[in-house]
Amino acid sequence: MYIMAIEDIGYLTMNELTCRQKLPDEARYRKGPVAVIECVQEIPCNPCEAACPKNAIFVGEPITNLPVLDEDACIGCGICIAKCSGLAIFVVDKSDKDSTGTAKVSFPYEFYPLPRKGDRVKGVSRAGEIVCDAVVLSVVNPKSYDHTPVITIEVPVLWADEVRNLKAESSQAESSQADSSEGESIEAENAEAENTEAESSEAQNTEAESSEAQNAGDDMIVCRCEEVTLGEIRQAIREGARDVTGVKRRVRAGMGLCQGRTCEKMVQQILCQELGLAPDQVGRSSARPPVRPITFGKLAKGEVE
Amino acid sequence: MSSYDVTVIGAGAIGTSVAYHLVEKGFSVALLDHGDIAHGSSSHCDAVALICDKKPGLDTQMGAASIAHYVELSKIFSYDFEFDQKGCLYVCETESEYEVARKYAQTQAADGYDMNMIDAKQLQDMEPFLAKDLMGGIWTPGDAAMSPYKVCFAFTQEARKKGLKVYTYCTIQEIRLDEKNAVQAIITDKGTIQTKKIVNCAGAWAPDIGKLVGIDIPIQPRKGMNLISEKTERISWHKILEFGYMLSKFEDIQFKRNVSPLVEEYNVAFNIEYTKADNILLGGYRGFRGFDIRSEWEAMKAIAERGLRFFPVLSGINCIRSYAGVRPFVKDHLPIVSEVESIPGFYIAAGHEGDGICLSPITGKLMAQMIAGEPTDFDISKLRFSRFDEPRPVQEALV
Repeated sequence: MYIMAIEDIGYLTMNELTCRQKLPDEARYRKGPVAVIECVQEIPCNPCEAACPKNAIFVGEPITNLPVLDEDACIGCGICIAKCSGLAIFVVDKSDKDSTGTAKVSFPYEFYPLPRKGDRVKGVSRAGEIVCDAVVLSVVNPKSYDHTPVITIEVPVLWADEVRNLKAESSQAESSQADSSEGESIEAENAEAENTEAESSEAQNTEAESSEAQNAGDDMIVCRCEEVTLGEIRQAIREGARDVTGVKRRVRAGMGLCQGRTCEKMVQQILCQELGLAPDQVGRSSARPPVRPITFGKLAKGEVE
Repeated sequence: MSSYDVTVIGAGAIGTSVAYHLVEKGFSVALLDHGDIAHGSSSHCDAVALICDKKPGLDTQMGAASIAHYVELSKIFSYDFEFDQKGCLYVCETESEYEVARKYAQTQAADGYDMNMIDAKQLQDMEPFLAKDLMGGIWTPGDAAMSPYKVCFAFTQEARKKGLKVYTYCTIQEIRLDEKNAVQAIITDKGTIQTKKIVNCAGAWAPDIGKLVGIDIPIQPRKGMNLISEKTERISWHKILEFGYMLSKFEDIQFKRNVSPLVEEYNVAFNIEYTKADNILLGGYRGFRGFDIRSEWEAMKAIAERGLRFFPVLSGINCIRSYAGVRPFVKDHLPIVSEVESIPGFYIAAGHEGDGICLSPITGKLMAQMIAGEPTDFDISKLRFSRFDEPRPVQEALV
C-alpha cells in the first residue's frame, strides 16, 4: 500500500507516481515525446479517451476507470493535454536528439499573462517550487483548446519528470488608463485639443506598442452566465463605463442567472486595473430581490424558503 | 474655456436624442450628466414604443411619428439597439373591457392608425400560452420594442461621430444668466461651459435643474417596477398588456377590474415582453414613493400573481430579479417640450412619464426644430411649459 499524497498535500509525489507506474520507462522516453497521464482519482471523466487521434488512451466502462495509455501508440502530440479538465496530462520528450542535455515538457497553463516563445522562465515542480531555469519553446492556444493554452518549455533533462509548470521571471504590471474622455476636466480636454499633430501621432505609436499587452487574455470569459469576455469588458470601459453597473449595461456582465454573484468581484477588479481606481470607487450592482431564483408560481403565493 | 451652441443636460433617452438631432442640424453640442449615460430612468424601465397605450389625438400622433422615426434610425445607425417591430396585443378579460377597447380601437382606426380588434380564437392562435378564458383584444402591428439603454448608447455614439462632446460624471453647480436673464454659462465641477442655450432633459430630476434658474417644473417621480425571468424558451411572441393597464396609467379613467386586493392596492397591471436576450420582462406596478426605488416584496407578489392570471405557464419559470425606477410624471400626462419664455435660451424636454423611450426620437427631432427656429413637424403647443400657469385644460377622454 502507498499513501494517497494528493489527498493530504494536494499534489502527487514522485514516490506515488512511481508506485502507480504513471511515468513511462526510460526505453519509451528515448523513442520520443510521450504523454504522461498523472490521473489517480477515480472520477467520472473521459474526454482524454475521445481526444486521442491515435486511440492510445483507454478509459472504457465504468467511466470512473483511470485512463490507460498505450505508450507505443502514443506519438506525444499533446492534444489530450488541453482536453483534460483536471489538467493532469503532460507530454515529456526526453529523447534529447540534439544531445544538449535538455528535455521538453508540455503542460496546460491557465494563467494570464501568457508567456511568449523565447521567454526565460523558471521550471516549477508539482509542489509549486522553483527547481530550475527554463526557456519557453512554444505557446499553443487555438480555439479548439477552449481556453486551455498548452506551453512547452525546455528544461535540463534531470528535471524532466519533476517540472510541471513555470513561473515568469517578473510579472509585468498591466494597469492601463482607459482612453475615454469621460471624467476629464473640460478645460484640460480643450487644452489637449490644441496639441500638435506630431504629438498625437507619437501617442498613436505608443498605443500600438502597448495594445498587444492590453489585449492579453481578451478572450477569457469573465461573466459565465452571459458569456462576456474580458475583452468586451475592457471595451465597455473604453466606451465610458466607470462602475459595475456601467459595464453591466454595456455588455450584460452580471445580468444572468447568478446575478453577478460569480463575476462581480472580477468586474470590479478589472475596472480598478483599467481605470486605476480603488475598489470602493467602482461600486456594486444594486442588490435586488429575489436573493435566489424563485418560480413566479411560488413568488405569487409568497412561498419563500 | 469651452463654448458650445447648445448644452443638453441629462444623458437618458430624451437627452441623447435631443443631442443627436442637434448635431445633425450642425450645432456644436455638449451633453452633460452627473452620472453615466442611461444611468437613470432609461435603464430602470421596460422598453416599448407603442401607440396602443396612447390617448387619441396628439399623444398617439407623437407615438406613431416616433415609431416611424425609430424604424429609420434602426436602418441608419451602426449601433444595434435591438429594435423589433413585433406588434402589440392589448388583451381584454371581460366583455365590458372588450366593448371599451372596441370603441377605442375604432376611434384610432378612424384617425388612420393600424389597430384592429381580434377575437378569442385569433388571440389563442397568436399567443397559445395565454389564458384560455380571455375575450380577445386590440392588435397593433406597428408597435415595437427595443433595449432602452442601448437606445441611449446608440444616439450618443452616432452623435459623437458628428462632433458631440459628452461629459459624464459631471455635476452642475450653477447656471449663469446674463443681465437680460438669458442663458450665459454652466459652471460644473469639471469646469465652465459657455453656452447660449440649454435643454433640460433631466427627466424626474428636471425640477432640480429648474431650481438653478429659479423656475418650478411640475414633474414628480412615479415609481415603476418589473420582474425579470431566467432565460427561457419562447412563451410569447408580441408585447402583451392587459387592457386594465390603461386604468393603471390614467387614473382619470374610472374602470374597475375584478382583481385581488393586493393587485388593486399596488395598482398592478399585467404586461409581458420577451427580450432579445431571451429573458422575459413581467410588469408592472406604478406608485408614488418619491425617489425610493427599492423593490417592494408585496408589489413583486402582486406582479407575479397578475402575470399568472394571463400566462399560467409562468408558474414554473424562475424570476431572477426585480427592478424599479422612477418615471417623470406630469399631472396632465403630457410631456413638456418647450422653451421657457422667462429665460431666453432655456428649454425643457422632460416629463414623459412611461413614454420616454417611445417618444425619444420624436422629442429630439421636435426640440432640434424648435431650437433651429424651424416649424415643428406638428403643432405641439399643448406641450408648452407655460400651460401650468394657465387654468387646467380639459382632459382628453380615452374614448
